Formats: sequence, C-alpha cells, structure tokens
Amino acid sequence: MEYDGRLPAEGINTSDEHPLREFALLVGGLVGAAVACIAIAALAIDRLVPLLPPALEARWFGGWLAPDAEAESDPRTASLQTLLDRLARHWSDHPYAFRVAVLDDAEPNAIALPGGGILVTTGLLAQVANENELALVLGHELGHYHGRDHLRGLGRGLATQLVLGALSGGGGEVVAGLAATAGQLAQRGFDRSQESRADAFGLALVHAEYGHVAGAGDFFTRLAESRATGATGRLAGYLATHPLHADRVTALHAEAAARGWASEGPLTPLAIPTPSK
Amino acid sequence: MIISTTENIPGHNVKKFFGVVSGSTVRAKHIGRDIMAGLKNLIGGELKGYTELLQESRDDALARMVQEAESLGANAVVNVRFSTSSIAQGAAELFAYGTAVQVD
Amino acid sequence: MDPALEALIQLGAPLALLALAFFTGRRAERRHYQSIRARERELCMLPAVTFRQIPSSWGVDGVGLVTGSVVISVDHFKRFLAGLRTLVGGRIKSYETLLDRARREAVLRCKEQARARGYHAVVNLRLETTRIAGKSRKGNATAGVEVLAFGTGLELRRDPR
Repeated sequence: MEYDGRLPAEGINTSDEHPLREFALLVGGLVGAAVACIAIAALAIDRLVPLLPPALEARWFGGWLAPDAEAESDPRTASLQTLLDRLARHWSDHPYAFRVAVLDDAEPNAIALPGGGILVTTGLLAQVANENELALVLGHELGHYHGRDHLRGLGRGLATQLVLGALSGGGGEVVAGLAATAGQLAQRGFDRSQESRADAFGLALVHAEYGHVAGAGDFFTRLAESRATGATGRLAGYLATHPLHADRVTALHAEAAARGWASEGPLTPLAIPTPSK
Repeated sequence: MIISTTENIPGHNVKKFFGVVSGSTVRAKHIGRDIMAGLKNLIGGELKGYTELLQESRDDALARMVQEAESLGANAVVNVRFSTSSIAQGAAELFAYGTAVQVD
Repeated sequence: MDPALEALIQLGAPLALLALAFFTGRRAERRHYQSIRARERELCMLPAVTFRQIPSSWGVDGVGLVTGSVVISVDHFKRFLAGLRTLVGGRIKSYETLLDRARREAVLRCKEQARARGYHAVVNLRLETTRIAGKSRKGNATAGVEVLAFGTGLELRRDPR
C-alpha cells in the first residue's frame, strides 16, 4: 500500500462569495422586511382603531390621568381646565371628560393621553404670550382626540415593538439596533398628516371661541425662530414627529385664509397665575 | 465513489492511500422553524423541520467530502466518521471526514 | 440632542465597528491561509489517516499519542452575518472559512508534533470541534471555535513511501 501525499483542491469547504455582497443582501432584505411589516401593521391599526367606542376608551384609560389632590390645589390647573372646557364646548358631541394637568418640564410640550387627559409642560406655559396661543395648543390636542390619533399612536407603537421583538430575538444586539432604527424611520412619516389635521381642528375651535384667529400662530413662529434652520434643520424636521414650526405657521395662515377667518382681533391676556414657590 | 465506515472494503484491495478528506457545512435554521420548535417544546414529538434540515446538511457535507476525494484521484473513502457541533445560537456544523484511498 | 445627529451616531457607530472588524478579519484570514498552505506543502509527506489497521509491511518501532489544537476567534463582522443568517436560514458562509482554517491548522499542529517526536505517520486521527462561548448580555455569543486533532503517532523502521 503506497502513500500519495498530494493535497486536495482548495475551496470545496468554503465559499467564493464576497462577504460584503452577502452583508448587503441580508441587511437590505431584513430592513426592507421590517419596514414592510411595520407598515402593514400600522395600516391594520389605522383601520381598526376608529372602531373602539370612546366610552370604552374612557373606561379603559380614564385612570391614566386620575384627579389627584396635589393637582387640584394647583391654581394653574383650575384656569387651564376652564379654558379647556370653554374650547371643548364648541365640539358639541365630544364623548370625553377632558382633564388637564401641568407637567414640570422645561421643554415646551403638550401631550394627549388616551381617556381624555391632557398634559401641559411648564416650559410651554412659560413660552405662550397670550391666551389665544394657549387656546390653539389646547385645541390642537382636542383635534387629536377628534381623529383618535392617540390610540393610533399607541397601537402603532405596540405593533412596532412586536415586529422588532420577533426579529431581534434571532439576530443579536447589533441586528436589534438596526431594526430599531429602521422602525423609528418608518414611523416618522405617518404622524405628520395627523398633526396637520389636529392643527386645523384646533384653529376651528379657536375661531369658534374668539371669533378670530389672531395670534394663534405666533407661538410657532417664535419657536421656529429659536430653532436652527438650514440643512440640519430640514433633516431634523423630517426626523421629528411634528412638522417644522415654520411649515405649521404657513399651513395655519393658509387654512385661515381658505375659511375666510379674520386674522386680526383683540388678544386676550393670559389668565394663568404663576404658582408661588 | 465508495464510502465506507469500515477500514477495509470487503472484496477490494487498497492500492494507494491519501490523507484525510473532510466535508463540512454550517447551517442555520430560519425563524419559522424556530417558532415551530418552540411550540413543539410544549407538546412534544419529532421536530420534522429540524430532522430534514440536518439530513440535508449531512448530505451536503458528505458530498463535499467526496468532492475532495475526487480531486485527489481517489475512488473510495474509508473510515468515515460524522461529527455535529453547535457553532452559534441556532446554527450547527455538520462535519464528515475519512481517509481517501484508491482501491482496485 | 439634534435628532439627525443622534440617528447618524446610532447607525454610524455599529457600521464603523463592522467595517473595522471586516478589514482586520479578512487580513488575518488571508495571512493565516498563506501560512497554512505553506506548511501543508511542507508536511504533506507525513501521512495522517483515520484508519486503525496498519499495513503489515510497516515495522512499527514506537507509538504515542499526538495532538494538535487551535482556538480561532470569531470577529465581529462574521458574528453579525451569522446573526442575520439565523433569521433567514441557510448556509453560514462566514463561519465556513473559520472552521476550515481551524481544522487544517489543528491537523497541521498534530503533524508537527508527530514530526517533532520522531513519528513517521499518524493513524486513527480524530477531530473534535467545540464552540467557546463568550460573554454577552444574553450569554450565548460565540467567542471562538476550538478544533482538536488527535491520533496515534507511529515510528517506523521504513519510510511508508
């Protein structure tokens, strides 16, 4: 029995394919699949959400902003609640019991919670110059309830978490990170039409309450001037959930002009007392 | 190509022997099989998906081993052994190796 | 923080890490393969076989156990590709080169040890592959792969060729 020492051919147990090609294929495919799944889930949620009756919603989520003793004694809450009730009266058939509370946060923001609770930050209260501006912000939140947007947001968030959880279970941390970023990018585009509709609804409520829309958009104009514009500003605008403030002002003026609403009128001073420290 | 787990192939004489030839594949199951396996964990029974997957991998590995042997000019592989090892979460390497020989 | 910058960092940092791992991993692999091929050519005259029965024409003077083992680490890029593969299924090509290298290196080390000890052939060669687990948040990441090649070295009176 003789021995032949030759070596077998190379490349039988390995593959010639360039790893970067496989990388591009897999990453592209998975990101595409994630975005598609989330889009489909979001569409489904959008169809199903209006079917939830508001009475049921109030029952399920009403506890999220339960009245508590500390909020009741805050003088700002009372005057905010009065303003909110005045605006809500113009939405005649609303099924919610709206409540408002103040949130201690330097960033100006207003949040609509499922069940009828609205949060307004101290940063926002510091920035508004008169009651008309605050009325538009509150009207905007009421517009979200009108469109059941807050529920859509909740549902979409849930759907995204489910899809991403299923994908990241198999792939490891970096895959989970990439999937999360893809999910966030996919979500951005949907919110802005809802925001525009809420803006229009809020403007209608302001007009119904005061008879004119003077001063309503000034708040956004001020915010737009304080933020950066230009290239990074535009990119930030795409990535933010609200449209750029400058765009909102333009849209508001266009809406007022289209409805033939007066843009001039007396501005009511802010009746919110500053709390004693 | 004769493949055998014995040292000698009955009825043949080994004229020449080469070195060790091997074939291996690393396969991952996809997420669908993962979910089915998770369900089967509850109710029990054969994981048909996995059985098929591993059978395909074994055939693949054997084919590669035979390819290596052919490239040497051998016509039989003796003393073939299999080895399975878990390489990553959800992936296994199937490895077949033996000695390539030339029989008459 | 500016959301655009934040998104860029969130995507850019892992991609940069992957790119670094890809280039260094490829270089290491290429150099290792060059070394493997050179040593295989050098050692091809020492037979390593899996069968046990020794031809009667061989006069055996000495026997002993010979082993060779190597642990090769999985670089970040390969691990990432494998992670993606476990979602869609199929052959994990990034690990195939890893295992091929490890196996050939282990067999070479076994042969080198045999030669160093004066053996002329290795019989009953066996190969064992193990995964070395690494530390990760989930605790199941693969840090490396170990291949052990062991067999019986034979000292022969006459060269088997």
